[in-house]
Amino acid sequence: MDRNQLTKWFKAPTKMAHKYSLHAVYFCTGCGVIEIPPTITARWDAERFGVIPAATPRHANLFLITGYVSVKTLRAVIRTYEQMPEPKFTVGFGSCPINGGMYWDSYNTINQLDKYIPIDGWIAGCMPRPEAIFVAVTHLWTLIDKDMADGYKRYRKHYAQYRANQEQVLGELEWPPLFQSEREG
Amino acid sequence: MRILWLVLSPLIALAVGLFFLGLSRRVMARIHWRYGPPLYQPLIEIFRYFTQKGSSHGVLFGLGIVLSLAGSIVVILFLPFGGICSMSGSGGMLVVLYMMLLAPLGIALSGGEAANPNASIGISRKLMLALGYELPFLLIVLAIMTHYDTISLVDIVSAQRETASAFASFPLVLSGIAYLLILPAMLGMRPFEVVHAPQEISSGPIAEYSGPYLGLVTIQHALTTFIGISLFVNLVWGGAGNPFVFFLKMLVVLAFGLFVNAAFPRLRVEQAVRYLWRWPTLIAFVGLILVVTLGR
Repeated sequence: MDRNQLTKWFKAPTKMAHKYSLHAVYFCTGCGVIEIPPTITARWDAERFGVIPAATPRHANLFLITGYVSVKTLRAVIRTYEQMPEPKFTVGFGSCPINGGMYWDSYNTINQLDKYIPIDGWIAGCMPRPEAIFVAVTHLWTLIDKDMADGYKRYRKHYAQYRANQEQVLGELEWPPLFQSEREG
Repeated sequence: MRILWLVLSPLIALAVGLFFLGLSRRVMARIHWRYGPPLYQPLIEIFRYFTQKGSSHGVLFGLGIVLSLAGSIVVILFLPFGGICSMSGSGGMLVVLYMMLLAPLGIALSGGEAANPNASIGISRKLMLALGYELPFLLIVLAIMTHYDTISLVDIVSAQRETASAFASFPLVLSGIAYLLILPAMLGMRPFEVVHAPQEISSGPIAEYSGPYLGLVTIQHALTTFIGISLFVNLVWGGAGNPFVFFLKMLVVLAFGLFVNAAFPRLRVEQAVRYLWRWPTLIAFVGLILVVTLGR
C-alpha cells in the first residue's frame, strides 16, 4: 500500500484519490453478497483501505457484481452502472458472471456479463473468500496505476455494440441511450 | 487584521471540521474493534469527488448547495473560536439563530430539485427533526440570553469566563443538561440519524449528488459539525481564552457525541420528535422559568 508515499501523491494525485476511496454500490445479486458483510465489518475491515459501501450509485465508483445475473437483474445492473459518475470500476465476483458458472444452461441467467457492461477485473471461485476481495482491490490499484482500468472508456467507445447486446437480451430498452454515438453519425 | 481573520476563520473551521469527520470514523472503527481509515480519509474522498464527472439536475441543484455553504460560512464568522471572533457585533446570537436555518434549507432546495423519492423523504424528516430540536434549543438560548442579559455571543462567552460556565452555575445548569440531550439531534448523530439513514432511505437528501456536488455537500457537512459543536462550547461551556483550549473542549464534546452514536440504534422520526419535545423541552422550560424568577 503506497498511500503514505507523498511523492506519489504529487505525481498523480487523481489516481491516488481514486485508488484509496473506492466506494462500492450496495447492489446484491446472487449468493456472493454473503461475503460482503464480513468484508466491511470488524472481521476483515475493508474501511482501512478506503473501501466502504455507498448507499446510492451516485456516490460510488466501484461496482461489485456478486454472483449470477438473471435477465431481470441485468436491467437493474445496467441502469445502476450508467448512473455511477465516471471514472468507475466494475469487478465481477465469482464464476457466475464470468461464464455462467453452475447456471450456465439456465433459461433466465446471462452467461457472460462482459458482453453487456465492461468489467475491469474478475474474481474467480465459487464462492471466493473475503480475502479474494482484498486481492482484487490490490489488483485494481495496480490497474488504476497503469491506466488499465478503463472499462468506462471502453463503454463510451463501444457503446453501440454494448447497447445492441443489451437489446438482444432485454428487448426494447425503455431508457434513452447514455451516449449519442458519434461514429455512426 | 480583521480582514485576515474574516478569510482565515472559515478555513480554520473547514480544517477542524474535516479533522472531526476523519477522527469520528477512526473512533467509531476502534469502538467496533476495527483499525479504521486514516485520519485524512475525508480529504482523499473530497479530492476524488472533485475529480469525478458529476451530473446536475437543474440550476437550483447547484445553487442550493451554494446557499447552504454561504449560510454556514456566515454563521462561522459570528462564532467566537477561543477569543477570535471575526464579526463580533452586538446581536451575534440572533444572526446565528437565523442563519443556522439556511444550511438545511439550501440542501432541501437542491435535493428537492433532483426529484428522488428518497431525497423527499429525507427532507421531510430533516424538517420534522428540526421542528423537534428547535423548540428546546430556543428555550435554552432564551434562558442563557436572559440570564446574562445580552444577545451578543461574545458577551455571553466573556460573562461565562468572568464568573463560571453555564454548567457550573445553578439555574443555567438545567439549560446545559437540556442542550446536552438535544446535541446528538443537532449534529445528526445516531439515535437521531433519521435524515441520512443510508440503509433505509439511501442517504436521504444527498442521494442524487455525484462528483463535485457531493464534494461540496461533504464540505458543508464538515462545517455543520464544526458549528454544532462550537456553538455548544460557546453557549454552555464558557468558550475559551485561546483557540487551543477551545479545540480541546470541542474534542471532548465530539467524543461524547461519538459514544452516544456508537451505543444507540436509530429512532424513528416520530419517536425522535416525541423524545425531543418531552424531556429536553421540559428541562429547558423549567430552566427558563427558574432563570426568570430567580434573576441573576
